[in-house]
Amino acid sequence: MKIRLSILAILCTALLAGNKAEGQVHSFDAGLRFQKSAGLYFENGLTGQYHLSNRWVLGASYISSRLGSAIGSNAIRQDNLILSGSYLFRPGKSLKPFVRANAGYFMADYEDELFGDLPQSSAIASADAGLVYSFKSPLKINLSLGYNAITGSGDQGAGTLYPIFYQTSVTWNFAKTLRESASAYQKE
Amino acid sequence: MKKILLLLLVILILAACSKEPSIDDTMLDSGLYFDQSIYEPEKYLVSAFNPSPTPEEALKPVIITIHGYGATTFEWDEFRSWAGNRDDFQISQVLLGGHGRDYQSFKSSTWKDWQKPIMEEYQKLEQQGYKNISLAGSSTGSTLIMEMLASGYFDQRLKPKHVFLIDPIIVPSNRLLSIAHVVGPFVGYTTVTNTGGEEKFYYNFRPQETLNELRKVINKVRRDLEDGIKLPAETTVRVFKADKDNVADPVSAVLIYKGIKTDNGAAIRVDMVPSRIHVFTRLNLRSEAPSAKDIENQRTAFTEIAAELLR
Repeated sequence: MKIRLSILAILCTALLAGNKAEGQVHSFDAGLRFQKSAGLYFENGLTGQYHLSNRWVLGASYISSRLGSAIGSNAIRQDNLILSGSYLFRPGKSLKPFVRANAGYFMADYEDELFGDLPQSSAIASADAGLVYSFKSPLKINLSLGYNAITGSGDQGAGTLYPIFYQTSVTWNFAKTLRESASAYQKE
Repeated sequence: MKKILLLLLVILILAACSKEPSIDDTMLDSGLYFDQSIYEPEKYLVSAFNPSPTPEEALKPVIITIHGYGATTFEWDEFRSWAGNRDDFQISQVLLGGHGRDYQSFKSSTWKDWQKPIMEEYQKLEQQGYKNISLAGSSTGSTLIMEMLASGYFDQRLKPKHVFLIDPIIVPSNRLLSIAHVVGPFVGYTTVTNTGGEEKFYYNFRPQETLNELRKVINKVRRDLEDGIKLPAETTVRVFKADKDNVADPVSAVLIYKGIKTDNGAAIRVDMVPSRIHVFTRLNLRSEAPSAKDIENQRTAFTEIAAELLR
């Protein structure tokens, strides 16, 4: 058992620690995302980010009013599935500005067939920009302000997809965790 | 660096400076066309027309009609014309505070000012002995009525018998309203495209201050609906909502349907109307002549409101 763990630790170290200058290349962050549309709902959920390089990050998020404004209220239940691509500035620093492009799908549940003819889904195309802060621990926090290019107009489009949103995500970097575990094990 | 910061500060101050529109004498905004209800309240308000009703008159339904943001009593004139000489119910057309006067009066008004004349007329009618009072609002008029229901205005008063909401606004179709408080100071005002006839009955310019007030009351009522509004046992609510509406998004009806319940927890009645006209009950002075379907929608709504008043 101890041999297997040693091999795993060495592999992890080799794969993840790599070149220190590369930081968190090919690493994965996962955590919680909290989002608010200006003038409408809180929509919260999960987010994951994969670091392709020390500047480029791919991400996926699921946020919903079911985990926000619709908890114990009459707010409309709506879900957002979002894929994103981010570009980080100052990759070597703890505080990094970023810009992000997002695409995805929005679904609302009006719960009654009376409203069956109203648009209840939409594509999502948005962009946001903000700051991400990496702590010495694997914890990261990012804040951003964004703009939804596709929103309803009363004649067409989903009614509760609003243009301006702001969000914060709290994520945990798993590469850093594994790397630290591996280092600690090697020292033993 | 200091020079750049100073320049930015000057630009910000200039951008934030109050901007005033150029108002023609042909516009309501000019102050030359005050709403007629200001001069002749007895022609519009039941409380002024018949302040001492007989016991029989006091039992007849009175419906207070309330127009929308930027509009005037004109918005409900067609209902009065449609009712003609009927004497089985009476119509009281209220002019919202800050409305039907001039640009500056509008600019300095808050949503609570808009709402005040509704409360004043309701209280006067109650004090005068009227026992059967209903309310009908169009667009923001509906939002103001819902605010009164949510805030407990009727708790210690005579309960309204019926509430009719025509194209109520909870979700604005123009989403920029949600950030009116941020962009407003840089814009100053927005311009409405009115027809030659409309420009004497509807404000042509919307000061950012009032857009922000509209945002506030819409947000407040949306949150009230999220928390739930329970009707008094004596009150019914009925919603008529155009299913395509570039002012009040049709999804407003969903929020109201989910948010308002009767005293025993039942759903309220909502009619989705096949129309593209915001406030489909007002057809006069539109840019396009109303279609047969538009006229039918209006007549159906009026007929059903009158029938419900007498039920």
